[in-house]
Amino acid sequence: MGAVTIGLSAGTLLIMAIVLTAVLGWASVKFHVDVDQRALDIMDALPGANCGGCGYVGCGEYAEAVALEHEAVNKCTVGGQNCALAVAEIMGVEVGETMPYRPIVHCGASYADRLGRNEYRGEKRCAAANLVTDVQGCTYGCLGFGDCENACEFDAIHVIDGLATVDYDKCVGCGACTKACPRNIITITPFKSEQMLAVTCSNKDKGKDVISVCNVGCIGCGACARASSLFTVQDNLSTINYDAYSPTCSLDVLDACKKCKRQRLVFVGKPSPKDVEKAIDMKVPDVVEPDFKTSVDDTEWRG
Amino acid sequence: MEYLFDIFLISISAALINNFVLYYFVGICPFIGVSRQVSMAVGMGSAVTAVMTFAVFLSWTITTLILTPGAPLSAWVAGWFMSPEKARTIDLTIMTYIVYIFSIASAVQFVEMYVRRFYPPLYKSFGVFLPLITTNCAILFACLTVMSNVVGKANPAEAWDLGRSLALGFFGGVGFTIAIVIMAGIREELDLCDVPKPFQGAAITLIVGGILAMAFMGFNGVDTGIRSALGGL
Repeated sequence: MGAVTIGLSAGTLLIMAIVLTAVLGWASVKFHVDVDQRALDIMDALPGANCGGCGYVGCGEYAEAVALEHEAVNKCTVGGQNCALAVAEIMGVEVGETMPYRPIVHCGASYADRLGRNEYRGEKRCAAANLVTDVQGCTYGCLGFGDCENACEFDAIHVIDGLATVDYDKCVGCGACTKACPRNIITITPFKSEQMLAVTCSNKDKGKDVISVCNVGCIGCGACARASSLFTVQDNLSTINYDAYSPTCSLDVLDACKKCKRQRLVFVGKPSPKDVEKAIDMKVPDVVEPDFKTSVDDTEWRG
Repeated sequence: MEYLFDIFLISISAALINNFVLYYFVGICPFIGVSRQVSMAVGMGSAVTAVMTFAVFLSWTITTLILTPGAPLSAWVAGWFMSPEKARTIDLTIMTYIVYIFSIASAVQFVEMYVRRFYPPLYKSFGVFLPLITTNCAILFACLTVMSNVVGKANPAEAWDLGRSLALGFFGGVGFTIAIVIMAGIREELDLCDVPKPFQGAAITLIVGGILAMAFMGFNGVDTGIRSALGGL
């Protein structure tokens, strides 16, 4: 009896499999949809991160939009220039200038620099803490509970010493952190070079109020604006005109950085401060002497 | 007449009184996920209705012919190996879940191909939710309801026939459509409201769903009322 039951069960599933496969096979031929071959090729060329950085739901939808609706080929922030080139080749178009889009955290205060912090016992999320007053003095700056860190799928943003810090080596510019931040202090900015000048403060209060809540915040003194036309002070906050920004910083811009009393004009991007720190310890000889023992060339140099 | 009356009661019960979503709380995933716009909700409701009817048809056929004890097909095959009396006791109901999931998955695949071929915008707007109908518990629930009304009846005449099962499947889907369309209508209005921040998104949607379910509780007992009112039939 047991053997018959098992046999019947297996037979049922086998027959179902055969019949349903036949029906679905017939349907797949009958309801066949022609997909643009270019869309499939573009799909292969894209990184497949499905992050939504391009503004479409996923890589598949963006590939379709490029193939059928002549969407720009350089929208993929993850793939960058190489990906844009590959997609442009498939579509047979010229690729425009691609600038990687990267987030900038417009706050530079670690826990020690933020004044008026109170003990917060609520849910440890920025979105929750943002609803409560008096978590910290500054109502503009980073809260440090790491909503951005949780939103990031690329492990590229971390709360270090209470401040969200972007790891530009890992960041692909999808913009998930920007959407997650309840205080909107992370902006996605086109990086014209590996390093970009940024104002790392978002506080729009008057200078006196800023000093009372933060050790490092921008007080809107306007020293930078006087030094260089790149900067303007809007709402008591220094602002960089990124359209006029050039990767090779002119002297007046560097001068403005020096003149900032609060040191809020800093360069962000690659290489990270950590890499620079490591490089400082390394001893770089001024002149590299050829070593005859290891050199392949055995001719002696006689000055 | 009695039969038509029975079908009528099953239909109205599945669609309104014991609404799958609002009474049994099955199929909540698409109910929350695809209830953003009325047009999409209508599409999702139609797709679920089609899949549910198809899946109930398949599962009723397989249950009645093969799975239930004394089913003709399995008894006939088992009859080759044992006495006919013994063959009639073969019980394959343990297979119901795997067989139903199998048939639901195929039905979804079929509907997906059909929608992709003939309604591309709808296919696009469904996104991941169309394949997710496979795991929509409302459909498995419909199949299992049919099973519980077919298997284990002492009197074979009491077991549901195909007409009753299809009525349950189709009007269960209609009930799902009603629920999701009402929900989408409310959510479209909700977008214009100033919802307090902690309640925004899924939270307010679930609260609205709960209130909607309470409203549908008002239908409770209507079926027994109709039955007693028309009891003379």
